[in-house]
Amino acid sequence: MEQIVQTLILGIALGGVFALMGSGLSLVFGVMRIVNLAHPSLIIAGAYVTYWGFKLWGIDPLVMLPIAAIILAAIGVILYKLVFEKEAKSAKYSEMTVLLTFATAMIVEGALGGMFTNTQRVTSPDYATDAIFFGNVFIPTGQLYAGLASLVIIGALALFLKHSRFGNAIRATTQNRDAAELLGVNVNFVGIMSFAIGIGLAGAAGSLVSFVFSFFPAKHWEWIAVLMSLVVLGGMGSILGTVLASFMLSIVAAFVGAYFGSTWSSMTFFLALFLILLVRPQGLFGEKPELA
Amino acid sequence: MMTILTETAAADATSSVLAARKAHNAKLSANADKKRAVWFPIAFLAALLVLPALQFTGNYNYVLHLVLFTACYVTMASGWNILGGFTGYISLGHNVFFAIGGYFAGMIFARYGISTIILAPFAGLLCAFVGYLIGSVTLKTRGPSFIISSLALVMIARILFDHWQFVGGANGVALKSNDLSVEWAKLPYYYAFVILAAFSVWASYKIKHSKLGLGLRAISKDEIKAESAGIDTRTYKVLAFAVSGAFVGMAGAIWGEYLTYIRPNIFLIILVSVNMVLMCILGGKGTIAGPVIGAILIIAFNELFVATLGASELNILATGVLMVVVLLFFPLGIVGTLARHHRLPRILNWD
Repeated sequence: MEQIVQTLILGIALGGVFALMGSGLSLVFGVMRIVNLAHPSLIIAGAYVTYWGFKLWGIDPLVMLPIAAIILAAIGVILYKLVFEKEAKSAKYSEMTVLLTFATAMIVEGALGGMFTNTQRVTSPDYATDAIFFGNVFIPTGQLYAGLASLVIIGALALFLKHSRFGNAIRATTQNRDAAELLGVNVNFVGIMSFAIGIGLAGAAGSLVSFVFSFFPAKHWEWIAVLMSLVVLGGMGSILGTVLASFMLSIVAAFVGAYFGSTWSSMTFFLALFLILLVRPQGLFGEKPELA
Repeated sequence: MMTILTETAAADATSSVLAARKAHNAKLSANADKKRAVWFPIAFLAALLVLPALQFTGNYNYVLHLVLFTACYVTMASGWNILGGFTGYISLGHNVFFAIGGYFAGMIFARYGISTIILAPFAGLLCAFVGYLIGSVTLKTRGPSFIISSLALVMIARILFDHWQFVGGANGVALKSNDLSVEWAKLPYYYAFVILAAFSVWASYKIKHSKLGLGLRAISKDEIKAESAGIDTRTYKVLAFAVSGAFVGMAGAIWGEYLTYIRPNIFLIILVSVNMVLMCILGGKGTIAGPVIGAILIIAFNELFVATLGASELNILATGVLMVVVLLFFPLGIVGTLARHHRLPRILNWD
């Protein structure tokens, strides 16, 4: 019983981090219809920003979080202007952008590898190695803080999308780009801004990742399929779906890891991705199965 | 297929229509022949076949290695082109077949000593079978979903091969090298790869101009219209997947013995499948000469880059930059762009 509760807690804590990692991806897909394979590599870039802030000046990773988010959002704008703006009118838009984001992921990985080498790194604030005990069940404080921070950010994002004028414009563009444009929404600006917010969320997620996992530039290949499984299960473009999916899959993965060994826990995500694409390509909350 | 049709229909009243169509097709191909130089690929192949004679004059193992390496990638890129170029389904997971071919032939070679060059066709058959199974599942998706599912395939294969103790897990299996002297040791693999590459180019030409190829090209233009025109799109797509997997598998089979090692991080690294994709896109997706030109350019680019700058991280960076530039400015590739402007030289018109 204790082991079940323990596994459940670890799964939920992990799910909180994955939720933030996936929600930026989901936002960018919803508004721009870009399947951003570069998202995990940008998360790692955010992790490096946090790592150096912590290493050089001793700034706490949670304090570095907004800084990493802003830096990455700026990178997102530059990236959009350089790479994706030209493709917006292309007929084979969706496939072209997938290949472009794939190439972007390689560029980011190569640049990070060239600058910081391929050694494994992790930021180590005091709470990262600590744990809170309830009897025999423990919660790692690092993952607890990361999960809470992630929920706060996602909550703020949800409030912003729901109640601000600009958030409504973003949601309108997600639902129907042409209709939103007809009603006077500047869809290009919405596109750039939501791309920036999405990449900014990657930076914020990177700060959390930096003390929850160890990371190195080539690690993002493992995460691409993991994050894709969250976004696809949640329904491409639905942030609520992504959050729910990340809790579901993380809990399943935690149990698989506890009972079958940790190698198979990442297999959970890949197999889930495969199955969802085949059985229910629109995911939990997706509306149109147009990608299938 | 067409000959059977014409024979059975000979007594029919439609035979005159068929005869007229046949004459028309003959005229078209005669016209096409005027625009290309068939002697060039044959002469090129002949030059490659006599190239090892260089070994009599000195040690040119590096040259042989480069040609062999390029031929290996020509095979893989031509195979990828059948699915990615003709059919328009972009797979980033084709190195799974490279691994399956490599492990199948490599393990039999390690246990029973049968040369992988003999085993390569069987590896191809196995990969076609596996490709048929995988394809009939993943090809239900389309566009970005298909690309994502192909990436998931690599991840699954990587975990399986990393933890499969029978094939040595992540450490892989060492294969014994052959007994030939240093200057001739590469020769069997050299000829195997050059002939395999020539075969794959010839075969992709034949496929492109067959009924299957016509159907595949129709699918890449508009799948729904192709389906409503009576093409069995599902069978065609799955066949394309199986055939393209077979070529990649054959290349993988010999590659393992050539390196004297089979290990997941030789076959299942993302750079292998990126190279296949990039070669086709750079040379020109869906053209016959495209993968060949792409392979030559990318291998030369990689060699120059590693020779001058050395670091593999920078190589990844440069590959990414090259990919972005090609996608943004030459999405049709070298052959496609030249053909569009009617400037394709006759020696490169292999279609």
